[in-house]
Amino acid sequence: MKMPLTFMLNNQQTTLEVDARQTLLEVLRNQGGMTSVHRSCEEGECGACTVLLNDEPVNACLVLAASVQGASVLTSEGLVKNGKPHPLMKAFTDELGIQCGFCTPGMLMNAYALINRAGDNLLTDQVIRKTLEGNLCRCTGYVNIIKSVHTAQKAKLAGEWW
Amino acid sequence: MKKREERLILGKGQYADDLAFFNMAHLVFVGSPHAHARIVSIDTKKALALPGVITVITGKEVAAHTRPLPVQANFTSKGWTWRLADVYAIPADKVRWHGEPVAAVVAEDEETARRAADLVEVAYEALPLAGDLRTALSPGAPKVYDDWEDNKQVHLVFDFGDPEKAFAMADQVLQVTNREGRVTGVPIEPRGCVGLYDTKNDTLEMWGSFQTPFLSRHNIAATLGVPEAKVKINAVDIGGAFGLKIHAWKENVVALASKLSGRPVKWMEPHRDFMATGPHQRDVFWDGTIAFKNDGTLLGLKATVFHDLGVESTNKGIAALSIFPACSSPTNMYKWVGMHVEGIGTVTNKSFYCAYRGYGKDKGIKFIEAAINQVAKKLHMTPEAIRMKNFIQPDEFPYHQINNYVLDSGDYPAVLNKAMEMADLDFFRKRKKELAGQGRYLGIGLVTAIEPAGVAVPNCQMGGITEARVLITPDGSVEVHSDRTEIGQGAEISHATIVADILGMDMAHIHVKRVTSDFIGQGPLSSRGAVYPASAVAKAAKLLRKKVVQCAGSLMKIPADQVVLEKGYIYPVNAPEKKISYAQFADKMFFFPGPRGLDPEILKAHDHLLDVTTTWYSPTTPESGSSYTSFCVSADIAVVEVDIDTGVTQIVKYVHVHDAGTIINAQVVDGQIQGGIVQGIGEALYEGLNYDENGQLMNTSFSNYLIPTSVEAPDIEIAHLETPSPFSETGSKGMGEAPIIGSKAVILDAIEDALSDFGIRVNDAPATPEKVRKWIRQASGQNQ
Amino acid sequence: MPDNSAGNSAIENSVMRNFIGSRAMPDLVYHSPKEISDLLSMVDAHGTSARVVAGCTDFIPSVRTGRWSFDQELNLIDISKLPVLNQIEKTDDVLKIGASVSLTRILESPEVKVHCPVLAQAVEQMASLQVRNTATMGGNICMASPAADTVPPLLVSDAWVIIQDAQGEHKVLLTDFFTGPGRSVLTSGQVLTHICIPVKKANEAAWFQKIGTRTAVIISVVSAAVRVTISNGVCDTARIALGSVAPTPVRVAEAEQFLEGKPLDDQVIAECARMAAQAISPISDLRSSKEYRKDVARTLVKRSILACREALK
Ligand SMILES: Cc1cc2nc3c(=O)[nH]c(=O)nc-3n(C[C@H](O)[C@H](O)[C@H](O)COP(=O)(O)OP(=O)(O)OC[C@H]3O[C@@H](n4cnc5c(N)ncnc54)[C@H](O)[C@@H]3O)c2cc1C
Ligand code: FES
Ligand code: FES
Repeated sequence: MKMPLTFMLNNQQTTLEVDARQTLLEVLRNQGGMTSVHRSCEEGECGACTVLLNDEPVNACLVLAASVQGASVLTSEGLVKNGKPHPLMKAFTDELGIQCGFCTPGMLMNAYALINRAGDNLLTDQVIRKTLEGNLCRCTGYVNIIKSVHTAQKAKLAGEWW
Repeated sequence: MKKREERLILGKGQYADDLAFFNMAHLVFVGSPHAHARIVSIDTKKALALPGVITVITGKEVAAHTRPLPVQANFTSKGWTWRLADVYAIPADKVRWHGEPVAAVVAEDEETARRAADLVEVAYEALPLAGDLRTALSPGAPKVYDDWEDNKQVHLVFDFGDPEKAFAMADQVLQVTNREGRVTGVPIEPRGCVGLYDTKNDTLEMWGSFQTPFLSRHNIAATLGVPEAKVKINAVDIGGAFGLKIHAWKENVVALASKLSGRPVKWMEPHRDFMATGPHQRDVFWDGTIAFKNDGTLLGLKATVFHDLGVESTNKGIAALSIFPACSSPTNMYKWVGMHVEGIGTVTNKSFYCAYRGYGKDKGIKFIEAAINQVAKKLHMTPEAIRMKNFIQPDEFPYHQINNYVLDSGDYPAVLNKAMEMADLDFFRKRKKELAGQGRYLGIGLVTAIEPAGVAVPNCQMGGITEARVLITPDGSVEVHSDRTEIGQGAEISHATIVADILGMDMAHIHVKRVTSDFIGQGPLSSRGAVYPASAVAKAAKLLRKKVVQCAGSLMKIPADQVVLEKGYIYPVNAPEKKISYAQFADKMFFFPGPRGLDPEILKAHDHLLDVTTTWYSPTTPESGSSYTSFCVSADIAVVEVDIDTGVTQIVKYVHVHDAGTIINAQVVDGQIQGGIVQGIGEALYEGLNYDENGQLMNTSFSNYLIPTSVEAPDIEIAHLETPSPFSETGSKGMGEAPIIGSKAVILDAIEDALSDFGIRVNDAPATPEKVRKWIRQASGQNQ
Repeated sequence: MPDNSAGNSAIENSVMRNFIGSRAMPDLVYHSPKEISDLLSMVDAHGTSARVVAGCTDFIPSVRTGRWSFDQELNLIDISKLPVLNQIEKTDDVLKIGASVSLTRILESPEVKVHCPVLAQAVEQMASLQVRNTATMGGNICMASPAADTVPPLLVSDAWVIIQDAQGEHKVLLTDFFTGPGRSVLTSGQVLTHICIPVKKANEAAWFQKIGTRTAVIISVVSAAVRVTISNGVCDTARIALGSVAPTPVRVAEAEQFLEGKPLDDQVIAECARMAAQAISPISDLRSSKEYRKDVARTLVKRSILACREALK
């Protein structure tokens, strides 16, 4: 069943022609051009496809595109402002929380929501580890990813954030 | 300056799945549900009738249009068994493992191809299985390859030093066994590529997750019967590889599909396919006897290591070849009198075996480390004491090991001492005793390892070829070409750092190019990256620097030794104010070289073109036969706590001390270490590929092939020592694989220590909660 | 439930399905009712071609792995946009949770924390944040997996579900809901709309524990929930439920009865745990052997009762 889908994609009202059987992952990549949303397991296990749906991280491969009608979806492309990396992205580059880069966009989105939720509360390693448990990374051993999240939160508390 | 990382983080990565071409078709493989069966017939009518399906390729088409996969290693010697099987990318006669492709559907879109894949009707006649090593080796076992005498693929026999003398000198001997389960690398991105066969020019070009484009070109061209010169392979951004993307196998079918359909064809592998039909590793059983003196002096080893190889590798011969490093590596970092090691490899009805971080050299080290810790226990020595007694000493390098390895450099005792200091061994040993009274079980593991790196083995495609090119463009920026694909191991940062340092330039002006098959080399495998390609790049940069200095001296009318290259400028040592930028200099060299500018002799000698291509080969390999050039050193100490009622292991502390020679970029090295350690922990505790009695692989997803998440991964404390390698161009040593070796061994050792009250040998990885609990129940005589 | 369905395990010569790494989604018509009446008429109208989904976290993996396949076009009825099913209410002594409330909302709900903390304890150990953000408890119950982690806590809490169809509302005790692995009393045309849980009392404690091969994002090898009420130092009522040890999550009545009327001393607890393990006959599968399941079930029951005792001190 073909249908028009209207939703906020990275803060812009967007209408795409989709098929009801498509997942949000397929639509974001194929029709939306958001190739940072990576595809691996398609079964919700790896987190590479993590995006924010109404500000909360979800696995795009487990969301039917049709169900996001009227919702807001944020991908890591949406964090970039005027071509500039988001402070969170800068933290991941500075701390080398990125190696092959395949898990990174999903990590970024989950970490972004986490840091926003945390407000002024300093995140502990334990909270970061628990929150990112659904984002598998095979390269980094997570150590530098956790460092990156701490560094990013500091940037946020210092007022560098959007 | 992290150009690549900045690009990727902005979402500008181009991974295989992101490739899109005009008029592109999509390919999906249809796999066999049987582990061993004759293909009776394949009916593609229903699949072809589905609108949007372009073609279905089966073993028949593959046999008609391609050749068997080429031989990649032929490591025969007198008295050895070494067999290779003729295999096609898709078989026409019978399937030999669960998931093996029997057809490939090509359609307008992936969704249609997936639907059609369900409609391909294959009739099978199930055959009895050679489902595991024991069955495969038993007399009269079902044969995986009908034309072989039996299922034994390889039997290699090595005598290093004087094993008989070693055993004659011994006060004691001890038998040790060790099993490692079957595992795989699991990069988060599976394999994928696009093939584009240009029928007008009869050329083939491919883009995808190719870890070694130059080798892939050779193998794909050979399979398709196209001259290599008409094939080009491009590596795009790769979402992790760890050895698993050295392949060119299903890629052949993608190329063929493009040739037959006249369309660009894309294949993006689902994760479950990657698990079921990807390279597997480990799955070995060691049975050895170690000889030693009562004072702890190690003397010798007699051992046999059995490998369950699965079917013939799609990198034909490369799986069998990994038995060679497995047999050589037990020497590790100690002095020995002699060893006799036999390696046996058997084909079974399982997916094939190939490289995954370690490639055999890990196996011998893990085994000998376990064995040495047994010896220490027997002699009531600490694990550190027995190592200190047997280490090769810092003043003995280069050290000719009994297996021909020429160990380059290091301070083994210093590395271990540092680790012990960081781990606070005494504290934890005391703590273990305290907790023992409270029904809590703490264990401390300690292992040390060297990592043989920078491989060059005769009689195979891993012979040590490498090429690098560094050139300055007319606008003063620098291009760096090599065979070292970026698979997340920091190739670009490392190359750029090396070149920037040598040329006195800012890293912003150094552009490390994407790797294509235009560049000769076997790529970043077996931790070659920091040895071969980095050496070749450093060498090319040094030669280029010589040219720059000579030309600049001529231009500035000063002797070459007075030319300074610094921060992107070139100036006479005595007159910094006369500096010119690289851009100005390059412009002169390319477009206004001279005769008024440059010494005519330079022009006559063709020395003004700022472009150097060179090669590099290990200085030790040719004469010694040492198949590796550098040997980084590491010590791992882990403290774990085991819940003896559930069998669950918790890591309390993890310390890793490392000496990988000169460090080009500390962040990159630490990243490799942390990632490798967590992979090793996964192997030690969770990861296992298990086939059921019908030969069905039970772990095809992230939900049942369990890699560590951020919750299980421990904090890791790292320290570095830096003893440069005299044999590499930069002083660096390859180190990509060391962390996965030590971490797996040390976790198992720590669990064994935690269970010391029960007298349990932890010699069967992974030590899952269930297995640990089983050992405890057996040891305490509980039978429930 | 994600599992190994890419290949079947029975070996037969002809009828085994192809091994396909990831299967296509079926053709479907997407419905997103906003009112219960619309929902019920849609479910009724589409009969066997209708499928109710909430978070889709089980539905999509089931399609990808070929565990479910559909010959005809599917009418997918998404209940996640129904405001009335998206509420957590407390009425009198009952906590009523709508079928489309996400696991994250359950975890974060103050009502759940106060009135059924054992449920929150279980939900916290389920899946990942991303999955919990869309997955529902209704879905977790309806998929009827023996390993569904919300079920043991609900069983020990004496929970019931409300099922609606064209005929009206039906109340079904959760103990009567499951009929086998992947099977329940739900028939086509029916929707599970609410889960109702009697609220926690003052003299009562409950505990949930699960064990898997890994700590995080893991399907239970065994899960256990225990609830006890105590008066005068003696156990009044006991509820013990286990997951992943039988075709459906189960309560172990004998062990419960043994505990009732006794003081919670170490010996009684150990014996009760032994009886609970004795009562089950789990199977071996890709995640675990039956021996380990029995063995660790005993430990989990014991530890859960101990934790309850501790909480009641
Ligand atoms: C990565 C991952 C990890 C997981 N980990 C866990 C875990 O740790 N523990 C655990 O228990 N589970 C786990 N699961 C399974 C998950 O909990 C369940 O998938 C989830 O709770 C199901 O809810 P849902 O709303 O997504 O169900 P859906 O996928 O929407 O539906 C599931 C089934 O129930 C039916 N259904 C749903 N709602 C209703 C209703 N109201 N009325 C009638 N029928 C209905 C659907 O038709 C379908 O058959 C995991 C899943 C994934 C992908
Ligand atoms: S692709 Fe969505 S979680 Fe793996
Ligand atoms: S950086 Fe490679 S998977 Fe995380």
